[in-house]
Amino acid sequence: MMSDRQIIEGCAKHERKAQQVLYDKYSRFLLGVCLRYARDKAEAEDILQDSFLKIFFNIKDFSGTGSFIGWLRKVAVNTAITHYHKNLKYRYHIEIEEYVSVETGVTSFEEDFFTSDELYMVLNELPTGYRMVFNLYAVEGYKHKEIAEILGIDTNTSKSQYSRAKAVIRDKLEKLGKLRSSYPENG
Amino acid sequence: MSIRELFRQKLENAEIIPDASVSLKLMRKLARREFLRFNPARFNIYYLGGILVAGITASLILFSGSDKSGERSPLPVSGEFSKTDSTIYINVPVELTVTQKSDKLNENAFESIKNKPIIRPKVEPGKEPAQNIESRENNSVTHTGVNDSFSKKGLFTEASLDKNKLQRGFRTDEVLFETSATKGCTPLKIRFYNKSNSYDSCRWTFGDGGYSNEKNPEWIFDVEGEYKVVLNVFGSDGRRATSSSVITVYPKPLARFEIAPEKAVLPEDEIRFFNYSTNAVRFKWDFGDGSTSELFEPLHKYAKFGNYNVGLVVSSEYGCSDSLVAFSSSEYFIDFPNAFIPNPEGPIGGFYSSKSDEAAQVFHPIFSGVSDYQLKIFSKLGILIFESSDTNIGWDGYFNGQLSNPGVYIWKARGNFRNGKPFIKMGDVTLLRN
Repeated sequence: MMSDRQIIEGCAKHERKAQQVLYDKYSRFLLGVCLRYARDKAEAEDILQDSFLKIFFNIKDFSGTGSFIGWLRKVAVNTAITHYHKNLKYRYHIEIEEYVSVETGVTSFEEDFFTSDELYMVLNELPTGYRMVFNLYAVEGYKHKEIAEILGIDTNTSKSQYSRAKAVIRDKLEKLGKLRSSYPENG
Repeated sequence: MSIRELFRQKLENAEIIPDASVSLKLMRKLARREFLRFNPARFNIYYLGGILVAGITASLILFSGSDKSGERSPLPVSGEFSKTDSTIYINVPVELTVTQKSDKLNENAFESIKNKPIIRPKVEPGKEPAQNIESRENNSVTHTGVNDSFSKKGLFTEASLDKNKLQRGFRTDEVLFETSATKGCTPLKIRFYNKSNSYDSCRWTFGDGGYSNEKNPEWIFDVEGEYKVVLNVFGSDGRRATSSSVITVYPKPLARFEIAPEKAVLPEDEIRFFNYSTNAVRFKWDFGDGSTSELFEPLHKYAKFGNYNVGLVVSSEYGCSDSLVAFSSSEYFIDFPNAFIPNPEGPIGGFYSSKSDEAAQVFHPIFSGVSDYQLKIFSKLGILIFESSDTNIGWDGYFNGQLSNPGVYIWKARGNFRNGKPFIKMGDVTLLRN
């Protein structure tokens, strides 16, 4: 088993074996990241491929300080953002009903009530702009100001999109929860 | 646990197994990219292989090229690889398909004028010049046929008969065939009748590369030009007779036009028709409101509000014609803008004309065929700030006499079209200030 250091050195020399090991070790984690930004798995896999190309060609830029996995994640997130910009013209304008949502109801959820698959599904169904903002803010932990810069939108837009995204997600989770409780697990 | 925490906990480090094909595709992409990003410092087996392949290809081309024609110059392969940041150009034969765009007209309009596809070998029109244009135009048919007055059986000539004599119409006292027409517009369909009797086989050549062995073939000429149609009839004893006739195919005119503006406001807008027709000398416009024009590019003013289908019939000097109808794309529609700039000097009441519309001071729809309607505008907090049931009154940006803050407002419009269909539309509009 190669260590991360060996993998990085091998990839910097463009060794095919090191590249393969890097892929085998981190592709599942990175696809997990990409899928949060995509509409479906196929789109996520496209982003994943591009991410790996960037990783392989730019691995020498990884300073060695800081976490390698964090660097990988950053590359994947940046690739997803590039992908978002590239495909912006293909996105549909979202209908008003999608974001008019009442801000009431449950605000707290049990951690283990939803599976990660369900959460992915909820994210994939979001309008792309919401998904980007929500991911960057909630999961990646960017500030609204940073997100606004990255996506080329207004800071207030980022804020309002985040809260609308949250409202839509809450709505969807509640529906999912109701569906769950109306069909109790009966083995 | 909040939504944010929930997603972070569950998805920050979630793993998804990629499809096996992803790795394969990635490796292929990687190999290609690495190969293209040549860097002598990273010289490896791929470049070596590439250079080997290129070298072999180059030498093959060199040797085979000198063998065959020598026209092809060898590819500058070695030169490409000596550069550090090289790009490899590969010449691939590309087939270009040129599609005619439908301009601004409704697609439907073109359906009517599209030629039905004719499947048969297409060949450039034959260049055989007509021998006698005047006689052809006067008599409509000129046959340069030869019959055999020397031969015992009447029809058959000797195979050795001088061909030049045939073409000059040396003997025209008998024609071997008749045609349903000798001239016309593309696509010209002509039936040929073999009038000779007592022969074993015949062969028609139509002058455009096509031929037939039928007795009375039918042929379609779809490229303009003059075609010399030749009939050869063969007897069992090896004798034959030849007869020819010229068919003139006139170009078909093409009716094409554009309308500007496509959406006009009454009463001031005049509609201009831009004529892009080809091969035509006469034009007849039908404006769809009962009036017509024969001008090349007419101007027309509609007296009544509505949607009109505009038709154009063109004809050429040879009497060939073509037509095109532009159907009004949608008789019933309602659309809203996504931004407007209210008049800062005070409420203007929501009435709008084409003048205030130019400055976009009133938020109002463009529409056609709307019978009744209701527009509601809400602030972001959901407060109803404007309501109108008159399509001619929009929102001027004022609420209770106060100019509203710039920002996004939500609108909802519902109503019915004149054809009875209901509509509900929603969207947002940005209030701007200058």
